[in-house]
Amino acid sequence: MTSFLTAFFSGTAQGAIYALVSLGLVLVWRGAGVVNFAQMGQAMFTTYIASQLIQHDYSYWSAFVVALFSGAVLGALVDLGLMRPLTSRKNLKSLNSESMRTAIPVIASLGILGILKSLAGIFWAGEERGFPSPIEPTAIKIGSTNLAITGFDLFVIGVVFLALGLTTIFFTRTGVGLAMRASALNPEVTRLSGIKVGSVRTLGWAISGTVSSLAGLLVTPRTNLSPNTLDLLLIIGFTAAVVGGLTSLAGSVLGGFILGYVISFVSVYSAPENVFIAILIFLLLALFLRPQGILGSKEVRRV
Amino acid sequence: MSKSISLKHKVIGRRSTLLAILLFLFFIALSKQFDPYNQAQLANIATLLIAVLSITLLTGASGQISLGQGAIMAVGGYASALLVTRLGYSMWLSFILAIFVSALFGLFLGLAAARLSGPYLAGTTLVMALAIPSIAVRFEPFFGGDVGINVDYGNPPRWLTSFVGKISIEEWSLYVVLPFTALALFAVLNLSNTRAGRTWRAVRDNEVSAALAGINIGRTKVIVFVCASGLAGLAGALYGFRGLVGPSVYPTDLSLTLLTAAVIGGLRSIGGAIFGTFTVVFLPDLIERITSTFEVPGAIANYLPGLAIGTLLLLTVILNPSGAAGLNERIHHRIKKTISKSGGH
Amino acid sequence: MLVVTDLVTEFSSVKALDGITFKAKAGLITTVIGANGAGKSTLLRTISGLEKPTSGSVKWFDHELTGKSVEAIVRGGIAQVPEGHAVISQLSVAENIELGGLFRKRSHKGDLVRAKREVFELFPILFERRDQQAGSLSGGERQMLAISRALVSRPKLLLLDEPSLGLAPLIAAQIINIINELCRSTGLTVLLVEQNANTALAVADHGILLSLGKVVANLPADELIADSSLRAAYLGY
Repeated sequence: MTSFLTAFFSGTAQGAIYALVSLGLVLVWRGAGVVNFAQMGQAMFTTYIASQLIQHDYSYWSAFVVALFSGAVLGALVDLGLMRPLTSRKNLKSLNSESMRTAIPVIASLGILGILKSLAGIFWAGEERGFPSPIEPTAIKIGSTNLAITGFDLFVIGVVFLALGLTTIFFTRTGVGLAMRASALNPEVTRLSGIKVGSVRTLGWAISGTVSSLAGLLVTPRTNLSPNTLDLLLIIGFTAAVVGGLTSLAGSVLGGFILGYVISFVSVYSAPENVFIAILIFLLLALFLRPQGILGSKEVRRV
Repeated sequence: MSKSISLKHKVIGRRSTLLAILLFLFFIALSKQFDPYNQAQLANIATLLIAVLSITLLTGASGQISLGQGAIMAVGGYASALLVTRLGYSMWLSFILAIFVSALFGLFLGLAAARLSGPYLAGTTLVMALAIPSIAVRFEPFFGGDVGINVDYGNPPRWLTSFVGKISIEEWSLYVVLPFTALALFAVLNLSNTRAGRTWRAVRDNEVSAALAGINIGRTKVIVFVCASGLAGLAGALYGFRGLVGPSVYPTDLSLTLLTAAVIGGLRSIGGAIFGTFTVVFLPDLIERITSTFEVPGAIANYLPGLAIGTLLLLTVILNPSGAAGLNERIHHRIKKTISKSGGH
Repeated sequence: MLVVTDLVTEFSSVKALDGITFKAKAGLITTVIGANGAGKSTLLRTISGLEKPTSGSVKWFDHELTGKSVEAIVRGGIAQVPEGHAVISQLSVAENIELGGLFRKRSHKGDLVRAKREVFELFPILFERRDQQAGSLSGGERQMLAISRALVSRPKLLLLDEPSLGLAPLIAAQIINIINELCRSTGLTVLLVEQNANTALAVADHGILLSLGKVVANLPADELIADSSLRAAYLGY
């Protein structure tokens, strides 16, 4: 029973972080049709910024805010500086092939990932370092019995739910949120409604950058920080996004939590070494059984 | 009409044979100028070129992206290593069988991901690349865990040494790899001119119109992926036989390096694949030579190759998405245009 | 007044519009008719900025529209209802209407509320279904929704691309009548593209007949109806 509770609570806390990563990927995928493989490279970079600030005696929370903000800026920069010119340019017409046109942004995102990792290595020497958490990761006690959940887990779950709540309100209750959903679903009708689809898209990249930056801040107290630390998170986040349905925001969050439980139950009941194989099997099963994902809509192609 | 087509085919067949032989001779001639270290690098290039060709085939001919071609190389590597060490097969036979094993693996993976449009294949292959080490550890008695399985090319046979004189072990490895590289080149060159090659290009250029022309999109994509997997598996088998088949031989970065080689050379061109492979293999050496002259601190120097390759990748997609070979193609096209104009047909 | 002069739009060097020149008077309905492939849709898409013309000019009173972005043209009071009941089917009816007025939310909050109420009065069925997904509507209702989305932006010029396409004749007539009434009561300028020439010419003030990207007739609507030789040559009846 204790091992079940351990797996459940740690799965929830991990799943919360995966949900953020997956949400970030789906935001950009829906808005721009690109899977941004540089996403967690950006998050790694902003977490390093936060870490530098903390080393220079700034408070955790000011570093936290700066990291989120620079995540947004970095996301917007990637879109404005690279993705927008790449996808709109006439030169892409010279490729004369639709699948190559979708391949080019993916390759570009890999280039950004490589550059960000090397830059982080050059600037910050690349050795693994710790990252602080505002709450000590010690188990919560009731009386004298240790619960299977730490204060830090609760903090992570709390912050993620707050972030998800704010995102939901943003998308369902605000005009900008409506514009974002609309331009993801039908850019032409949205433009004909007088909305600047390009700016809306950049905003999507910025939000995705913020959300994944948050994931980086929340995961590194456990994993430590190095240029390669967050690669794993990207893979898990991608799997979560595919499982939940790449086109659905709610599905991406659901997928994140499912992956959290899968990973946590496998490492508690089987062995931590089996986690990767479990992820791979889970991904392949998901692709075979429900390729459009749990909440995703089937792609309708007009011929 | 049909006569002229078959004639054209023969010409192309002859041309690709000639190119394959030329490549073979070029590598041998080059190796004679090199020290053993660079001879080994040359053997690496010849091996990796096969894997890069598999990406040229996959991405250039059908537009799919694989971020885990290194993982498929690992499948081929483990297959041939196990065949040799466990079942006592000959090295050469194990290379051929590795092609089939990895093609079969590609079929399985392709049925799950390649038939779908979009980013599924890229992500799934990436997950695959990351899962290789943990699979090797999980089935340690079989795959040899973190360390891997020791294998090697052995010594050059007597008939060869009596024929070409005494050769270094590095040169021998080059002789083992080169025939396969030449064969792979020949196969890929010819494939693009067959009916299948044209079908693949149609799918790449416009899925909707290809589907309207009666092409089964999903099946075509899976077939391309299976062929590319077979090639990558062959490269993996050859790559492992430098001495070791293990997770450290096929890291995730290998997959990205291969993709980079294919992209900077030009995803659609075979000449580009050769250019790109040379670049990614020799660039780190070049950077190391520069950094050692300027006494750059090691912590920085370690990251310079990654930075250079990332920048190269970005610059290629920004400046010239069709790669170095595309530039060449464009120049050719312009020359042809000028000639045909002045020729006044 | 909309003035189109020598407009040329090419698709990979095929001229879809080959030097179009006409005027559409403010406050009236001008209809553009012609067979399939005559360039009617391309004309509307070029005016609204979705296609970039190779040469020529489009002027709405003193404002040159060519070279402007779609968003800027819409914000300048020119709304297009694209072909095929273009609504966003995954959003609700209310959200689709909201979308049309979104860019005026800050500047004209009060008027936006009024505009929304007006379209709901114009199409009461949409008010009943305001919380349904747009995808669940019938073809006619979807067309009404597409028109409503355009109307809440308070356009001065409304571009309609084949509103009757795929609709039952009765519903098509109903929609065309509503457009007609709207034009007469509010002074809205309408440019109506139709393949169904009879329905369109019945309400229009002026008719323009396109064939293969060129204007072949530019006449008052009643004269165009009367000219049986033109109809026989270009419309086939």
